[in-house]
Amino acid sequence: MRGFARAMLALSLVLASTGLARAEDALKATIGVLRLSSSAPVFIAQDKGYFRDAGLNVELKFFDAAQPIAVATTSGDVDFGITAFTAGLYNLAGKGTLKVIGGMSRERKGYPLIGYFASNKAYAAGLRSPKDLAGKRIAVTQVGSSFHYSLGLLADKYGFKLSEVKIVPLQSLSNAAAALKGETVDAALLPASTARKLMDEGGAKLLGWVGDETPWQLGAIFASPKTLSNKALVAKLLAALERADREYHDVILTSVKDGAAPINEQTKPLLEIIAKYTNLPLDQVVGNCAYIDPDGKLDVRNVDNQIKWLQGQGFVDKGFDAEAIIAKDFVKPD
Amino acid sequence: MLERATPRVSQDDGKTGTRPVEFRGAGFVPGTSRYSGWIALLMVIGIWQLAGSAGLVNPLFLPTPSAIGRALSQLALSGALWHHLGYSVMRIGTGWLLGTAAGVAVGFAIGLSTLARGLGITFISALFPIPKIALLPLLILWLGIGEEPKIATIALGVFFSTAISVYSGVDAVPRNLISMAQSFNVPFATIVRRVIWPGALPSILAGFRITASIALLLVVSAEMIGADYGIGAFVLQAGNLMQTDQLLAGVLILSVFGLAVGKLIGLLEARLLHWR
Repeated sequence: MRGFARAMLALSLVLASTGLARAEDALKATIGVLRLSSSAPVFIAQDKGYFRDAGLNVELKFFDAAQPIAVATTSGDVDFGITAFTAGLYNLAGKGTLKVIGGMSRERKGYPLIGYFASNKAYAAGLRSPKDLAGKRIAVTQVGSSFHYSLGLLADKYGFKLSEVKIVPLQSLSNAAAALKGETVDAALLPASTARKLMDEGGAKLLGWVGDETPWQLGAIFASPKTLSNKALVAKLLAALERADREYHDVILTSVKDGAAPINEQTKPLLEIIAKYTNLPLDQVVGNCAYIDPDGKLDVRNVDNQIKWLQGQGFVDKGFDAEAIIAKDFVKPD
Repeated sequence: MLERATPRVSQDDGKTGTRPVEFRGAGFVPGTSRYSGWIALLMVIGIWQLAGSAGLVNPLFLPTPSAIGRALSQLALSGALWHHLGYSVMRIGTGWLLGTAAGVAVGFAIGLSTLARGLGITFISALFPIPKIALLPLLILWLGIGEEPKIATIALGVFFSTAISVYSGVDAVPRNLISMAQSFNVPFATIVRRVIWPGALPSILAGFRITASIALLLVVSAEMIGADYGIGAFVLQAGNLMQTDQLLAGVLILSVFGLAVGKLIGLLEARLLHWR
């Protein structure tokens, strides 16, 4: 018995030491992400070992909001951040504390991510499509958020002024959902995952999806200048992510029909990975697949447009453009 | 008649081993110097500014006092500051008055009536520790997103602390004073007005100091609910946009506000409690 225990101890020590040795060989990196399907390629690359194949030892750190990821990247708590563009992120980038190195999720026709939802009362009173939103009270999480920008694009598309809309910032998705259900706002912008429950309870009506109305570059990969000085690390990480981008695009995105991916032999393994990392049941993952460019390209023109819009609204400090915050060595422009 | 012992006057002149002892029992009397606090504050600000100007601290992580001052002056010049202040003062004032009025009434009831005591203390203990911010979605459903839920958030926060400090104040009124008034057959209302109210006032006013700060703390959570203007809304927006200089400017306004309210209550104490 004692001999057996000793043998096991020796074995585990040997295993541990070889494991350590392997970890030392690999380049270490931490990535800050949200548990959202818009980061699907990160989960695929991690779960299927693409990072490991590229000689990287990647640790994922999970956050619950986009802003803290940008702050953590600036402060060096994570090496890479993957999340949506926000006014706060641009303000950090404008001070030179982080640079965009690649594209991630996009709002695109046919891929539902964020939607316009009407309260039952407003719907009954004739609010039936996003173009009717002019002059309404609309709940968003924060001013200068991606929701706010989407509304700005919508206003441009249908030729009304954003100032005609009453923006109601409620700081959190649950507050916005409560305001919509309580009919104290006419409409709200909510992600599909938050709105699903509300719709099932009959508390709100879908008006349309942002991707169908105004496609734009929603998310990106970014890093601090310190991380960027290690060119080999960045190149390897981007290559591994691109491999996952390509697989996610070819297997899942090309099969999406009517806003949902089918569950079949090809898609199931990847969908299960996404379900595992996002803590969602499989049937909710399929209807919430963010579009991601198969080559990891970034829509630089749109990024510039975002910055200009946010600067015009006074949410982002003036005096820089997309060129200034993009690491040209790595970004593939669209 | 009891005779007092004649005090023995010491005439030993140190021959029998007694020695004069200087007075020791003066207690601790920390004097308040008028300038030391301000000098220390100025020194801290000076060092802070120097560290920022010399590039020792990243201005993003800690904006320099001059950057905060610039943000503040821009805010004041654009006129937005007065708008923000006006809305916040209205919310804090209304919420505090409502919460205080209800708290004083409930606190007196608990201090004076058995039934109210049994019910009140149980409810206060059960409801006081609920974080008001967790109730925001419910408050939105009940009261909408106008001024009502904002004022209600502040009033709720103020109510519980006031009720507790009022009933502890009533409990602390010396029982013998009340018994004396009762034995002189003074009517109940007069006992409350002339004996209990003044007796409880010091702790009620101490409660006000705390609740005024609670109201200031809660204005930030209250203005999470769809506020366009207000110091809390301004602080939240600056945080969301990572404009750290504006964020600290907002925080500074809140703390100056806190100082002003503290001074006001100090004046109130000096006026109402001059008998102490």
